[in-house]
Amino acid sequence: MNTFTPRPAQSQILTYTGGKMGISAVPGSGKTHTLSALAAQLIRSGAVSGEQEVLIVTLVNSAVDNFSSRIKEFLELPMPFGYRVRTLHGLAHDIVREKPSAVGLEERFAILDEREAGSISKESASAWLQAHPGELDGYLLPDMEQGKHDWVHRQLLPDLVTNIALAFIRSAKDNRLTPEKLRHMLNVAPTPLPLAEMGLSIYSDYQRALAYRGAVDFDDLIRLAIDLLENDIEFLERLRYRWPFILEDEAQDSSRLQEQILRLLSGEAGNWVRVGDPNQAIFETFTTASPQHLLDFIHFEASQYNELPDSGRCQPRIIDLANRLIKWVNGEHPESSVRDALTVPFIRPTPADDPQPNPPDDPQGVKLISNKYTPDEEVEAVVKSLDHWLPEHQDATVAVLVPRNQRGADVINALKRRDIDFVELLGSTSSTRIAAARLGDIVGALTDPQSSARLAAAYLAWRREGEEDSNNDFQHQVAGLIRKCGAVETFISPRTGVDWLTGVASENDETVLDELDEFRGLVRRWQGTTLLPVDQMVLTLSQDLFTSPTDLALVHKLALVLRQVSDDHRDWRLPELNGELSLIARNERRFLGFSEDDSGFDPSHHPGKVVVTTMHKAKGLEWDRVYLVSVNNYDFPSGQPNDRYIPEKWFVRDGLNMEAETLSQLEAACATGEFNFYTEGVATQSARLDYVRERLRLLYVGITRARKDLVLTWNTGRTGKQTPAIPFIALQGWWEESRK
Amino acid sequence: MNLTDAQCDILNTPFNARIFLSGPAGCGKTTVAVERLQALLASGLSANSILILTPQRTLQAPYEAALCLPDIPPGGQVALATIGGLARRTLELFWPLVAENAGFSHPDQPPVFLTLETSQYYMARLVRPLLEQGFFASVTIDRNRLYSQVLDNLNKSASVGFPYTEIGERLSTAWLGEPSQRRIYTDAQECASRFRQYCLTHNLLDFSLQLDLFWNLLWRMPECHAYLTHQYRHLICDNLEEDIPVAHDLLMEWLPAFDSTLLIFDTDAGYRRFLGADPDSAHRLSTLCDTQVELSKSFVTLPEIQALETAFASKLLPERNANIKPGTLIALTYPPTETPTRYYPQMLDWVAGEIQRLVAEEGISPSEIVILAPYFSDALRFSLSNRLEELGIPWRSHRPSRSLRDEPASHCLLTLAELAHPGWDLHPTRFDVAYALLFAIEGMDLVRAQLLAEIIYHQRDLRLSTFDEIRVAVQERITYVFGQHFEALREWIEAYRLKPVPDPLDHFLRRLFGEVLSQKGFGFHRNNDGARTVSSLVESVQKFRQAMEPALVDFQSLGDFGNLELGKEYLSMLQDGVIAAQYVESWQIEPVEAVLLAPAHTFLMMNQPVSIQFWIDAGSTGWWERLFQPLTQPYVLSRSWDRDKAWTDADDLAANQQSLARLIIGLLRRCRSRIYLGLSDLGESGFEQRGPLLKAVWKMQLDIQGKNES
Repeated sequence: MNTFTPRPAQSQILTYTGGKMGISAVPGSGKTHTLSALAAQLIRSGAVSGEQEVLIVTLVNSAVDNFSSRIKEFLELPMPFGYRVRTLHGLAHDIVREKPSAVGLEERFAILDEREAGSISKESASAWLQAHPGELDGYLLPDMEQGKHDWVHRQLLPDLVTNIALAFIRSAKDNRLTPEKLRHMLNVAPTPLPLAEMGLSIYSDYQRALAYRGAVDFDDLIRLAIDLLENDIEFLERLRYRWPFILEDEAQDSSRLQEQILRLLSGEAGNWVRVGDPNQAIFETFTTASPQHLLDFIHFEASQYNELPDSGRCQPRIIDLANRLIKWVNGEHPESSVRDALTVPFIRPTPADDPQPNPPDDPQGVKLISNKYTPDEEVEAVVKSLDHWLPEHQDATVAVLVPRNQRGADVINALKRRDIDFVELLGSTSSTRIAAARLGDIVGALTDPQSSARLAAAYLAWRREGEEDSNNDFQHQVAGLIRKCGAVETFISPRTGVDWLTGVASENDETVLDELDEFRGLVRRWQGTTLLPVDQMVLTLSQDLFTSPTDLALVHKLALVLRQVSDDHRDWRLPELNGELSLIARNERRFLGFSEDDSGFDPSHHPGKVVVTTMHKAKGLEWDRVYLVSVNNYDFPSGQPNDRYIPEKWFVRDGLNMEAETLSQLEAACATGEFNFYTEGVATQSARLDYVRERLRLLYVGITRARKDLVLTWNTGRTGKQTPAIPFIALQGWWEESRK
Repeated sequence: MNLTDAQCDILNTPFNARIFLSGPAGCGKTTVAVERLQALLASGLSANSILILTPQRTLQAPYEAALCLPDIPPGGQVALATIGGLARRTLELFWPLVAENAGFSHPDQPPVFLTLETSQYYMARLVRPLLEQGFFASVTIDRNRLYSQVLDNLNKSASVGFPYTEIGERLSTAWLGEPSQRRIYTDAQECASRFRQYCLTHNLLDFSLQLDLFWNLLWRMPECHAYLTHQYRHLICDNLEEDIPVAHDLLMEWLPAFDSTLLIFDTDAGYRRFLGADPDSAHRLSTLCDTQVELSKSFVTLPEIQALETAFASKLLPERNANIKPGTLIALTYPPTETPTRYYPQMLDWVAGEIQRLVAEEGISPSEIVILAPYFSDALRFSLSNRLEELGIPWRSHRPSRSLRDEPASHCLLTLAELAHPGWDLHPTRFDVAYALLFAIEGMDLVRAQLLAEIIYHQRDLRLSTFDEIRVAVQERITYVFGQHFEALREWIEAYRLKPVPDPLDHFLRRLFGEVLSQKGFGFHRNNDGARTVSSLVESVQKFRQAMEPALVDFQSLGDFGNLELGKEYLSMLQDGVIAAQYVESWQIEPVEAVLLAPAHTFLMMNQPVSIQFWIDAGSTGWWERLFQPLTQPYVLSRSWDRDKAWTDADDLAANQQSLARLIIGLLRRCRSRIYLGLSDLGESGFEQRGPLLKAVWKMQLDIQGKNES
């Protein structure tokens, strides 16, 4: 039973019965709860019939479960009846799945994940570079020495072109341009657009590769869903009837096309509730997502507007700091054109007697550390602070939030050195990666069966499940023995009289020998699986490796993925397939697993441990204490002359942002207006400002993750030239002033 | 056998009657037909004069079984056929008569009958260059399925009885989506036309051409007509509703010529609609019969299952609204709340455990249990069969658990074939060679196989060095016994390489198997399963060769295929999945007393009722989705479709609902006592599922909950 007592602002929203409503919510204002309560109320009130559903649309998969279980609690029904929670991609998939052939797909069309899409575009990009050597030379620094020039060509350009291609393809799809349409547009363009030509060439190649595999990517799903809805009015009407209410969460991150799906589904006079916090729009770089879509909806389309300004999450000082950031940005940011990056409402502490009171006021809880650290020193300082703080706060939650994954790895290494417990939340979750790595170790031993080192690794992987029961020394002893075995066959498949195990019997006690004997029995069985198709092999191995339901579910999914990979690459054998497992294990292939952190991470489950994650991933989460690191002018530039921008490559002339320039050429190709021609450099400038805005919001998100304590630090960067971010300096000045 | 009065009446109808027997599944229609067949034979009629026609071969099983009984009088043979089989047999007989009239370029040469696989092969050959020219650019589809859908269109035209030149236009007229997408139908038409022309030029007969010629030419020739009408005097035709309209047209004309006919029509069925089945067309035949009988009482289902059928029908078909009472769902079992079923493998555990309980505690025979899903991935089949094996429950499947391509035994032989044919210029990886050695030499282990392959195999020039060339220390590691066997295999391959003209691949495989691999000390010596796989592989290669060889010289002279090496071509087609991907092998010896794992539609077409059905993946939308094929459309190409009409969303919805209702009702009518719903919160790929089948169950539960509360 859910005992939800709404605050006045939340109650106001629960009076909704229909129409278009926009809601601005501040961090921690309970929007998931309010939206779930609204869904349950609409269902209970009988506003949806037996055939209908309230459609709840969220941004990420982890939120789906969260919504589902809350509505279930509100409704007190054993089955999730009367509603459907989907991500936008999930929704697009549902729509396309109903009529795949209407958009040229067969019924079991495959959806490529980001890694596979990335690898196809990489292949296409390489092919383009090979066919057009020197074509991009005009964009490179003119005075590079030959050796450097060659190195850039060999090492750096392929990645750059791949990234440009990915952005180009995504943008073309977002503009619903097929390669054919785009070809036509470029043919009639008044001026040559070489970057767009390159983008189109790779895009065409990429689409052919997809068609060959019978697959679509995530962006195709959205595009095809809209095609379907626009071309089949009867179908659209049916879906409108099925989903008479649409409740959209995180609306600030919807792209133009995603918004269009929901606009089509809700219809002119439909019922569409959009909740979002424009200040937390942090996903729009090089997508058409923009908080402006939500703001426009609120200002021009919605007939009802509400705010959820009360938040019981942070202590008053942290709220003040976050509100101050909004005020400073709006009124004092040195780059006046980004002053719209953050917007009101300000965060308001919850009213008295609220069931969710704010943590008590603590002026000591906010620390803006002005020390000029090197990157290593900064990490060391944070870890030292944690080492000092943790013993006293074993029941409290804490996180270190980094701007990029690589910085997270640095923090983790430092935590390991100090033996501090941590939970990693970067890319695939660690439990998913651990499972993939264990499986990978076994497959590794089968790929290279003569290697005793790999066999020892496989042994440890097999036993890793028992790692926590203090048998580590024993296992390492056994692994050490296996490693010393010179000829693996004399251990695994000895012929009469030449059994390695007998040879080592005199120096080892019986438990070790029994362990080795059991292991070799298993290895023999595993060797038999190498002849099976990869999915069957993985499933068979998993029976000896895993017992937890989440791991087993994960392996089943891994088996499906590997089978797909193997069908797509018929010439691949175990080493290549094992390579895919390694990618998952090394976090290079994003793979949604089944553990708690995949389906909705809950920081309160990890008290006394340091959670390390990115500021992006921290959205929606909260901790008692939060460290925000690297708040310098590299990760948070402000449009100032000495700022550097990550998307601008050092080897490109004039500081051009090649992705932005390419997209700008794409835009010029589509434009019909007389004055929409392409001018080099304009897009780079505009991308800088977008980036500055997004980073300001990222900082705001970071600050509002902290409940009681917040620590901000910065570092001088790799070159030693970085300075504290200007918003950092501004907040620090204000903070010191206010404390006087 | 105890028959009801109604059944006895049918049995005792004189042998000059034309009977149209209808009724739902499980009411004893086939039972009485089998009895009547026996009665016909017992009356002294010649077995040769009896024709039993079914839409597919699996449906002939009850008749085949009856014909094997000891009390069947000797002499003659009852003809069991499908319309396709009949067409082919007749064409073989009357080829010289038909060849010239049909427009074949070489009427003096014998025809080459194509299988589904070889048709697909030729289609692939023809379409591939067109794809490069931009054909089908706006569809996203696996190439093999593209070829098969173009073939399917041809088959539809022949089955429904319209000229194949109308395929594109019919599909295009019904299309309501993005107008530019219509181009794919023009492309599909072009491919179909080119294929037909190619067949006529090269004496190739795919299914569509066989049927077309049989119905439009042969049947109208007095010689053939007389032959058929004289040969067959008595007709039993089962599952008429699953057959194609042209079969019905044929029967409409043929029926008066028979002395007796028994036509059987299953009401509420029509599961093979995507293959052209047309129950409305079938029903026309009732008007030509002088006796109409309807059976309605089910011998299969318990009242609880019948109640469930009513309940499902009321939720799936709006027009069948019925009152759902508490107790209606008594025959429906879910995982109990205390059993964890959040994740997919947990649900599979529950299914396997429950089956073990049913077998051990309730004494239910495994053959009385089926596990059904809308779609069986290989991983699902493997996971389930593994669990059942661990619990000691025998199981069987509708198809082999691995395609021929994935079978280790065929892998081994084909790698050795690549090694023996350097002219093919195929260079297997060292892994493949190691696996081939692992499988080819008895007792070999992976470590030694890989060690051996690393030393003796030279991938670049395909050279195999001798065992003697290996250092003694390593020879000892590999062992002399294995070394000796390797040498024997190597010498055989080297000797074969010296042959001036290589053998056909099937001959090669047979020799390699017989002369080496089945000998003592080699991998197949005691491996019966492996031997069966080899036999199946040889058969598949042979069929391919036989379909290709007669035309080969001709092709080469035309320059179509260059210097085609059939063996190499087979390998590449196998690798691409064009041929020999998956099909039921006659050699597959399946335990009869076993739990069946099958897709729901396959089970329906087996037409064998069981006591207990497990419906797993109950939340999947797959239960509802028809077969979506971008290049073809079974409804639009059916006979009842108005050619000027567009296929709308309402048509789509109605077709889906009808299809789900038909499926569920069909399954229930083949279930004696209980349905188990295999439900997990998250599906196979980890996403929450809530397809229409599950929603129908929820609606029933809500109705009952509401009634209980009130």
